[in-house]
Amino acid sequence: MHKIESKNVNFFYGETQALHDISLSMKENTVTALIGPSGCGKSTYLRLLNRMNDLIDNTRMEGSILIDQKDIYQKNTNVDDLRKNVGMVFQKPNPFPKTIYENVAYGLRVNGVEDKNIIEERVITSIEQVALWDEVKDKLKKSAFELSGGQQQRLCIARALAIQPSVLLMDEPTSALDPISTSKVEELVHELKKKYTIVIVTHNMQQAARVSDNTAFFYMGKLIECDKTKTIFTKPAIQQTEDYITGRFG
Amino acid sequence: MASHFEIELEKLKNVIIKIGNLAENQLIEAVKALLSEPMAEKKEVKKNEEKIDKLDVKIDEICQTIFALQQPVASDLRFIMASMQISNEIERIGDLAMSVIKNSKNIKDKHDLIVKFNVAELAKQVEEITIKMNQCFLDRSETTIGEIFVLNNSIKKGTDDTIHNLMNEMKSNSKAVVSGMNLVMVLKHLERVSEHCTNIAEHVHFMIKAKIIKHEKFDDKQ
Repeated sequence: MHKIESKNVNFFYGETQALHDISLSMKENTVTALIGPSGCGKSTYLRLLNRMNDLIDNTRMEGSILIDQKDIYQKNTNVDDLRKNVGMVFQKPNPFPKTIYENVAYGLRVNGVEDKNIIEERVITSIEQVALWDEVKDKLKKSAFELSGGQQQRLCIARALAIQPSVLLMDEPTSALDPISTSKVEELVHELKKKYTIVIVTHNMQQAARVSDNTAFFYMGKLIECDKTKTIFTKPAIQQTEDYITGRFG
Repeated sequence: MASHFEIELEKLKNVIIKIGNLAENQLIEAVKALLSEPMAEKKEVKKNEEKIDKLDVKIDEICQTIFALQQPVASDLRFIMASMQISNEIERIGDLAMSVIKNSKNIKDKHDLIVKFNVAELAKQVEEITIKMNQCFLDRSETTIGEIFVLNNSIKKGTDDTIHNLMNEMKSNSKAVVSGMNLVMVLKHLERVSEHCTNIAEHVHFMIKAKIIKHEKFDDKQ
C-alpha cells in the first residue's frame, strides 16, 4: 500500500504548464529523491504534497494526490491538518527569531498544545531525534541564530518533527550546509525514515544515491523515470536519465 | 568541447587499447616461438612485458583517480569497473605469453610433435581469440563477444583432446616425456589465455549491457 499516490497530476502557473501528467507513488517509511535540472518541476511537485502551491496566485492543479488513501485536494480537506501531517524543511535554515527551545515549542503552541509538560517532552524528543540535543542542551534559552547553519537546519527539522507529521518533505535541505553538517543531515534522513515517509529534492547526485531508496528523474515538467535508486544509478532504463546522472545533459 | 571527465575516460580507453595491443603482439610472438624452430629470445618481447606491467599499474591509478574525483555512475561506472578487470586479465595474458615462450624452448623435435598433434591449428585459434578480444573492447559488439565464447569452447575441447593424445604418446614412449610435458604446459598456458580473453568479453558485456554473466554456463551465455 502506498503512503503517497499521485495520479495524472498537471500543474499550471497561469498559462504555463509546469507539470505534465505526473503519476508517482511512494511507500511508507521510504526515502524518495527527486532529481532533475533547475526548472524541471521537482520542487513544484514537492510543494503540491502539502498544498504549499495554494499560496501562489493564479495556479491550477489537475489530477489527484492521495496521502493515506485520502485525496488531499478534495474540497473538504483541512489544509492546516494536512500541513501538520506533511512537514517541510527548506533549502536555507529558517529558524524563527526566538530561542532554540521556543523554535520547537512554537509550532506546538500554535497548534493548540498548552500542557507545559507535553511541550517540554516533545521539544526534547524532537531535538534528540535530530541528534542536536548534546549540542544545545545547555543553551536552550539562547537565540537560534547563535547556532551554526547545520545546527539551525537540524533545529528546523526538529521543529517540523515536533508536531508529529508522518511525511517529511525536504527541499534541498543541505545545499547551504558544509560537508560535515550535510553528512549529519544525511545520517538523520536514514534514521528518520524508520518513522516517516520522506521526499527529498536534491541537486546533489551523490546525495540522492546515498540517502534515498527510490529516485525520480524529472525533466521539463515530466517524470522521465522512477525506480530503485540502485537501478537509477547503475543501469537507468531511459537514455535521458543516463545522460543527466552522468553529467552529459543537453 | 569534451569535459574534463570525458577526457579522463578517453585516456583510460586509450591505455586499455594500448595494453591490449601489446598483449596481442606478445601472444603472436609466443605462437611464433612455439611453431618455429628455437630462436633467440627477442629483447623486444621482454621490454613489452615490462611495458604491460607498467600500463597495468597506470590503469589502476587512472581508475582510482576517477573514482575519487568524479564519482562515476551508470555506464561510466561500468566502464571503469570493467577497465580495471580487463587490465588485470590482459596483464595475465602477457605473463602467459612469456611462459609459452619459456616452455617452448624445452620442446625437442618440436616440429614432429606439432604436426603429429595438430598444435598449430589450436595455437592459431588462440591468436584469433586474442585479436577478437581487443576488437570486442573497441567495437563493443555483442556479435564479437558471442564469437569469443564459441571460440573459447572450441579451444578448451581442442586442448583436452590434444593433451589426452599427448599423454598416450608419453605412456608408450618415455623419451617423449620431457618434450611432451613442456608441450602440455604450453597448451595449458594457451588455454588460460583463451579463458582470460573470454573473461574480458564478459567484462565488455557487463560494460555495454549492465548484466553480469561471468560464471554462467556456456549455453546460458549464448
